[in-house]
Amino acid sequence: MIEYDVSNGEDGISVIAPRGRVTVVTARRLKDLIAELVAGGSARLVIDMSETTFLDSSGLGALIAGLKTARQAGGDLRIARPSEAVQMVLEMTNIDKVLQPRESVTGAFDA
Amino acid sequence: MPEPSATEAIRVSVPAGLPSLDLVYPALEQLWEAHDGVPLRERMRLETAVVEIFVNIVQHAYRADRADPAEQDARRLDLVLAASDAGIEATFSDNGEPAEIDLSQVTMPDTESESGRGLAMALAALDDLSYERIGGRNRWHLLVRTPPAA
Repeated sequence: MIEYDVSNGEDGISVIAPRGRVTVVTARRLKDLIAELVAGGSARLVIDMSETTFLDSSGLGALIAGLKTARQAGGDLRIARPSEAVQMVLEMTNIDKVLQPRESVTGAFDA
Repeated sequence: MPEPSATEAIRVSVPAGLPSLDLVYPALEQLWEAHDGVPLRERMRLETAVVEIFVNIVQHAYRADRADPAEQDARRLDLVLAASDAGIEATFSDNGEPAEIDLSQVTMPDTESESGRGLAMALAALDDLSYERIGGRNRWHLLVRTPPAA
């Protein structure tokens, strides 16, 4: 139903790619994963949402919690390549104003 | 709402617990297979609202008896999905506690909030959302209007 692929790229940036549906059932894992990465010293995170087919309010909550966790550790969290379903939810909730989606994973921390 | 004309409605009855969410998606898939002309945007809107209302029912209507597994087994939730000329719709009914909610007072939480968005998202996604208590059951009706066929 969901897979979270984690990779550590260049410049100490970690990428999490949720593949499938991020819902109340699976969002807790995303929140924990972000917290673990930040605790392990990776406070710069990109969430690659190109294969995230569905995002519910709990999934959104996990992203917001993750954003706070990363920023408190001196880093940041960026969303890249949102699917159409994710983009719709970000706009509907105005979260796109605080988590502006980036067009690419590699360039997510460029600006 | 008028009864759907083209095809039968899709009905599922599931235990009122979060794992049942996995039984809701195939029902939605079935609806889209039967109505492949429904645009993606409208499908996504109904799916978002269906999931948020489902979770709301499970977490609130059955909160009181969470501790008793036997009671929980008796708790079921019915979902009817249908499409008509007016749009695509979903109707939930359950025998849980009445929802003490005034939908006109629901607002989208600010961007800092980590929770409390469920009903606001459902309202934002839908053209119409209503809640009624009828004969000891809760009934939620969700509607997304679809563009008229060309």
